[in-house]
Amino acid sequence: MVTERLKEIAERAVQYAMKQKVDQAQASAFLVDDALTRFANSQIHQNVAQKSGGVSLKVILNKRISTIRVGTLEEEEIKKAVAEAVKIAKASSPNKEFKSLPEPEKWSPIKGAFDEETANCEPKYRAEKVKEAIETAHSKSPEVKAVAGYFSTGSMAYAVANSLGVSAWADISVAYMKTTVISKSGTSEGFGAREKYSRRIKDIEPSLLAEDAAEKSVKSLNPVKLNPGEYEVVLSPLAVSTLLTFTGFVGFSATAYQDGQSFVKYNLNQQVFDSKLTVKDDARDSKTLYTVPVDGEGVPKKTLELINNGFVSEKSICYNSFTAGKENKKSTGHAALPIGDYYGERSAPSNMIVKAGDATLEEIIKETKHGIFITAVHYVNPVEPTKVILTGLTRDGTFLIEKGEISKPIVNMRFTDSMLSAFKDIPMIGKQVEMLRITTVPMMKLKKLRFVGISAY
Amino acid sequence: MSSDFGRIALEEAEKKGASYADIRVSEILNENLTVKNGEPEVISFSQQKGFGVRVIMNGAWGFAGSVDVTKEEIKKTVERAVGIARASALLKKKEVVLVREKAKKGKYATSFKKDPFKIPLEQKLDVLIQAGRILKEQSQLIKASYANYRGFRENKLFMSSEGAEINQQITWCGGGLSAIAVKGGEMQTRSYPSPFRGDFSTSGYEFFESLALVEHAKEVGQKLLKLFEAEKCPSGEMDLILHGDQLALQIHESCGHPTELDRALGTEADYAGTSFLTPEKLGKFRYGSEKVNIVANATLPKGLGTFGYDDEGTQAKEVCLIKEGIFVGYQTSRETAAELSLKESSGGMRADSPLALPIIRMTNINLLPGDWKAEEIIEDSKDGILITTNRSWSIDDRRINFQFGTEIGWRVKNGSKESMIKNPTYMGVTPQFWGSCDAVSKDDWKMWGTPNCGKGVPGQVIYVGHGCGTARFRKVHVGLIK
Repeated sequence: MVTERLKEIAERAVQYAMKQKVDQAQASAFLVDDALTRFANSQIHQNVAQKSGGVSLKVILNKRISTIRVGTLEEEEIKKAVAEAVKIAKASSPNKEFKSLPEPEKWSPIKGAFDEETANCEPKYRAEKVKEAIETAHSKSPEVKAVAGYFSTGSMAYAVANSLGVSAWADISVAYMKTTVISKSGTSEGFGAREKYSRRIKDIEPSLLAEDAAEKSVKSLNPVKLNPGEYEVVLSPLAVSTLLTFTGFVGFSATAYQDGQSFVKYNLNQQVFDSKLTVKDDARDSKTLYTVPVDGEGVPKKTLELINNGFVSEKSICYNSFTAGKENKKSTGHAALPIGDYYGERSAPSNMIVKAGDATLEEIIKETKHGIFITAVHYVNPVEPTKVILTGLTRDGTFLIEKGEISKPIVNMRFTDSMLSAFKDIPMIGKQVEMLRITTVPMMKLKKLRFVGISAY
Repeated sequence: MSSDFGRIALEEAEKKGASYADIRVSEILNENLTVKNGEPEVISFSQQKGFGVRVIMNGAWGFAGSVDVTKEEIKKTVERAVGIARASALLKKKEVVLVREKAKKGKYATSFKKDPFKIPLEQKLDVLIQAGRILKEQSQLIKASYANYRGFRENKLFMSSEGAEINQQITWCGGGLSAIAVKGGEMQTRSYPSPFRGDFSTSGYEFFESLALVEHAKEVGQKLLKLFEAEKCPSGEMDLILHGDQLALQIHESCGHPTELDRALGTEADYAGTSFLTPEKLGKFRYGSEKVNIVANATLPKGLGTFGYDDEGTQAKEVCLIKEGIFVGYQTSRETAAELSLKESSGGMRADSPLALPIIRMTNINLLPGDWKAEEIIEDSKDGILITTNRSWSIDDRRINFQFGTEIGWRVKNGSKESMIKNPTYMGVTPQFWGSCDAVSKDDWKMWGTPNCGKGVPGQVIYVGHGCGTARFRKVHVGLIK
């Protein structure tokens, strides 16, 4: 078992550190095995695999904290890294705000998070599925000119141990596919896309993604321009996912909250959003993609009510042990996972689940007299975090809704608006939820979203 | 770095029938220090070793990488790359063709006076702690101050089946300050010398010293506090004067990315998008005014995108992208250059780790100096705003419609820099915007370095540079926040 090996490595690294008489020590060992087949212009152009692993060590000596990360699981290298971490801690300055590494808490592994077939998928399988997506898209219409996308399969595992007795681990498999279809008619180009995420490869159905993307792409040909202004909008689950991800990152992180950048700070126990909006962060819910029992410090992931019937409160904030210690609280289990590059420790929600409503897409469209159907948003970034003002553009198929029907495609538009205002009035929420990266979300209709400009296509 | 491992990989790839193979073996060191409110919050070192093998088999690409640099793992990884290439070949429309490149044997290292990895940690922390404390002490309204340092070094060996064997060492460092203040629910932020952790250069520790963070900390805090009293950014069409650090990002987003040939050929269509600078426009399309001359130059000393050879073994060079406003060049790889029948690659292929596949990345994308002094541009402007220090950015998937926001700005009226403005934003359409550029400075031209350029799937983050001074754009739509 990979996790057994990682657990041993992490625990041994902590022992090495404690022998050097540090006050506290933490080690996380990880292994990521990923492969990705990427396609464009209806052929594979990039096909890669990488196996990475390493250990992240933290030692504390008189409140002096040092972190070392080595990209290897070799024992001798880890021993050297421990010695280096101790040397750095000695040379560092104390951080008075540091309280302690987390104490051990009861936790239990999550069954079914790891799927062997997904973790060990062969490149030939991915190539065959990519072929299926490309052929399906082209078969939908002669106007389909090119199909692009990616299909990724792989697994990650990590184990965390600390000198206070924490010893916890997680392993998970992940598969995802995106299909983007480009169609042409005269000088006009249409775009459509669809993506799917799962812990099991068999849930990825390339032909369904391709059919949907191709349909949107062809329908988005020859768009008309719409003047900027405020419009009712119907957001696809993907569009909701992107906006919620940014809102979560700038709003619910303890770092943002403590720095005064979070809107929650200024709206405690107030109804900021529509009363129909309820969002929880729950890593043990099978509806979320990254079902892991513990965070990057081995603390069990707690379920948080981020937004409860439109209200936000102190309970909305995601803490790791350091940010929790500053407020004499306990970590909520939101320390960054020990995979990927290490640039900091911002804690943020990564398993956001929106409570479903009761509407179908057809009903939402039917109830919209004049509005815009947004299938995806692109290059979203915060303009002003305390008001969650975000800017971004529509992409991959944007459509005008008139008198309860999708009437025509429109040229992509730029929105710049506060999400506190946009999600204040949500007349309808979809009854189906989709698992999309760190969110699980339904479609939504918003009473208004402010558009400030239009693009050229 | 020893070439023995490289030879094993190339021999193994040849045995398995690959028509081309290359390998990068590298080690990356990263030192990342963050001091928050005068307390050391992140003292982090990372070390990544590994290798990546590219092969062409049956006319298609395969790539695999691993952290385990052993003979056994190299053989396994080559086999994995070959298997992947065979799978790629199942769905190829045409064979991979590379533009010819003379196989180089050489060594290169970016220069420095003071090795950043030999400067004691205490010395670096001392600067950050002092600067962070001074900044935080300016007012109770300042909720958080950050002082950052980052040092980076990559030692890498590139070898190819064509006979290339190149050893390189890239070293860079830098840092910066930022602070967040809140007054009555209004939040403002101020950074120095540029946002998102600072400014960086392929130099030694002397570059970090030259930033003089301690000396600038008070001024950064004072300017931050003044923002609360500043006027709102006016709304409407007016002259926009961009200071170098914001102009650098403008160049990055609206010229750097759209001139990447992989984007123009559609291979990024599923993620960051394509480009409005499609191949039929090459050599003909008016991208900007005659004042606009933009190059990709990987040879410029101290640029963050400076190196000796790219990750395909192509020697660093200068390539013209925009000449007197006309779009004349792309940033390319050997494969994409061949697709357009170009004579040679621009040398833009880089990977952010030994485990990642090289893709087309910016080097130093520079707006060449004009004939104005920065001060003269202000003196010549009747009604506009001067803005600096990026705070937000967004651009569409063909790189046409963009919106940027900055931390601070000033009203410019009748040739003088007047009152401070807050939350400045502007929006534009790339060719119209650059078409309205009528003044480019020469006296404040400098290189800016950003280590945070994201691209590709799986995502990669690379370090790039931008040289520019101050420039003016006419009739730009500003003030987009209600």
